[in-house]
Amino acid sequence: MSDSESEQEQRLTLEDLEGSDTEMLSNDEDGPIDILTEQRVTINNEPALKRLREQIALPTNIPWSETQSVTSTQAVSVADPDDDLNREVAFYNQALEAAVLGRERIRKEGGVFERPGDYFAEMIKSDEHMAKIRQRLLDENASIQASERAKAQRDLKKFGKKVQTEKRLEREKSKAAALDKITSLKKKRQGNDNTANADDEFDVALASDDEQRGSGGAKNGNNKRSASSTPGSRSKRLKKDQKFGFGGKKRNAKSNTAESSADMSGFNVKRNKSTSFKSGGHKAARTAAGGAKKRPGKARRQNAGGRK
Amino acid sequence: MATVFKQQKSKQDKAEGVVAHTSEEKVFKNKQRVLLLSSRGINSRHRHLLTDLENLLPHGKKDAKLDSKSKLYIINELADLNNCNNCVFFEVRKRQDLYMWISKTPNGPSMKFHIQNIHTMEELKMTGNCLKGSRHILSFDKNFESSPHWQLMKELFTQVFGIPKTSRRIKPFIDHVISFSIVDNRVWFRNYQITEKPLEHRSATDTTDLTLVEIGPRFVMNPIRTFDGSFGGQTAFENPEFVSPNVARSNIKNAKAGRYKSRMDAIAQKDERLKEAEMPEDPLEEKNVFA
Repeated sequence: MSDSESEQEQRLTLEDLEGSDTEMLSNDEDGPIDILTEQRVTINNEPALKRLREQIALPTNIPWSETQSVTSTQAVSVADPDDDLNREVAFYNQALEAAVLGRERIRKEGGVFERPGDYFAEMIKSDEHMAKIRQRLLDENASIQASERAKAQRDLKKFGKKVQTEKRLEREKSKAAALDKITSLKKKRQGNDNTANADDEFDVALASDDEQRGSGGAKNGNNKRSASSTPGSRSKRLKKDQKFGFGGKKRNAKSNTAESSADMSGFNVKRNKSTSFKSGGHKAARTAAGGAKKRPGKARRQNAGGRK
Repeated sequence: MATVFKQQKSKQDKAEGVVAHTSEEKVFKNKQRVLLLSSRGINSRHRHLLTDLENLLPHGKKDAKLDSKSKLYIINELADLNNCNNCVFFEVRKRQDLYMWISKTPNGPSMKFHIQNIHTMEELKMTGNCLKGSRHILSFDKNFESSPHWQLMKELFTQVFGIPKTSRRIKPFIDHVISFSIVDNRVWFRNYQITEKPLEHRSATDTTDLTLVEIGPRFVMNPIRTFDGSFGGQTAFENPEFVSPNVARSNIKNAKAGRYKSRMDAIAQKDERLKEAEMPEDPLEEKNVFA
């Protein structure tokens, strides 16, 4: 601030010396480059500003309530004017101070400050407008709550997934442990066989073991199925599958193919010729062929109905 | 004849200032009336701002749009016709740049501002409300005392935005405060509702029972010039930091155009470099030795 003030002072003195506003600012110490950039003349005619102020100023001895103007005790200083929150807080504090001081002074001068509750008058914003504002606030709250709920749900889902993976890992672990047990058992057996008999017998035993395990698994699966459905209950399903087909591609089944469009089996030259789009011919062909009779007109139909 | 004389005299008084003399004893009456009008080419946001100001200032008189942007001195006559001694004039350029003139008609001074960041009362974000025509408290930042042109501005704002006690259509209570603050060499305008919190709704740390809720409008006034006449005259102050919105826009455009320009420059530089990097013919090269 002091820097800019000194600059302004310097400018003022320059202007005073030269007495014209159109003169280019010649800052000798700044060199030719600065002269080029600073072509704009800055005017700050402080005596004139003071004179103008005195010219229009209200008298000082008037009661405060004439102007109701308060100057803050602390200058608003905001480091970064783009910082919305801090800036608005500074403005708020300035206004709040003025409000508090103003109330004091008005009470001192015997005025009324606050509006009584039963004083109704036209407001600056209409009731409809205030209703809109209220609605907007409500909507905002609702949306905040909804988003919070969604967030909680998401967290829950994430946690659920964790549980799922844990379960999966546990299952895998137990499976691996079971397999380990089997291999160790095999090894034990192998050791026994080696000591006792020839190795061909072991192979058979192993194969049988494997078979048993595999078939056992399959059997288990079958058993599971049979628990829910018997051949009798599946008969309907089987019939349906036979009728409608089962599996296979379902898309484009009804669309034309090269073969279907080349198929001329359903074409009849005679019939094709008989139904031409020419209206006269069409009618004639129809009557000649002895086709269905045309529906009589409405009046005729009604008359016929009346006779009945 | 006497009535004509009286009329003339009162007119002169009005022109001289705000003090109305009645007979010998000087009884002060703060008489202010503000003419509010705009130029043609105003857009909806600016129009809403103007109506907001009209609603806030019961001593204001809104007039029809002014056709001319060059002959602004006719506003002085308009103000006189409307018995106004202040004027707020919205000059809109290019249907987007709003300049606000605040002037003491007919003799000045006057100030020209560039208005930025306008939020009108129509917006739903500002939830406050107040009586229409209640007199507000004007709150000025302490920075307004720092230099003569800010002091002059403060005086002008007090007279234009302060509602005189004798104004018609005012209501007897005070329920809002208008604040002017200087940040970044601009004046920030805010309008707050004053609400009193009952004791039982206050926390222990809350010392004051007053809280503020913003009503709107809000805008930023960037001072451009101060003239010693009304809508003209000699310049008493000029803001050295003011950048015309046209210049700002063209700078942005140029900065965008700069991408293409810098690319072309880079290509040209590369060509030059390649040319320089070509080696002179070597006498020991194969074709020179064995040819």
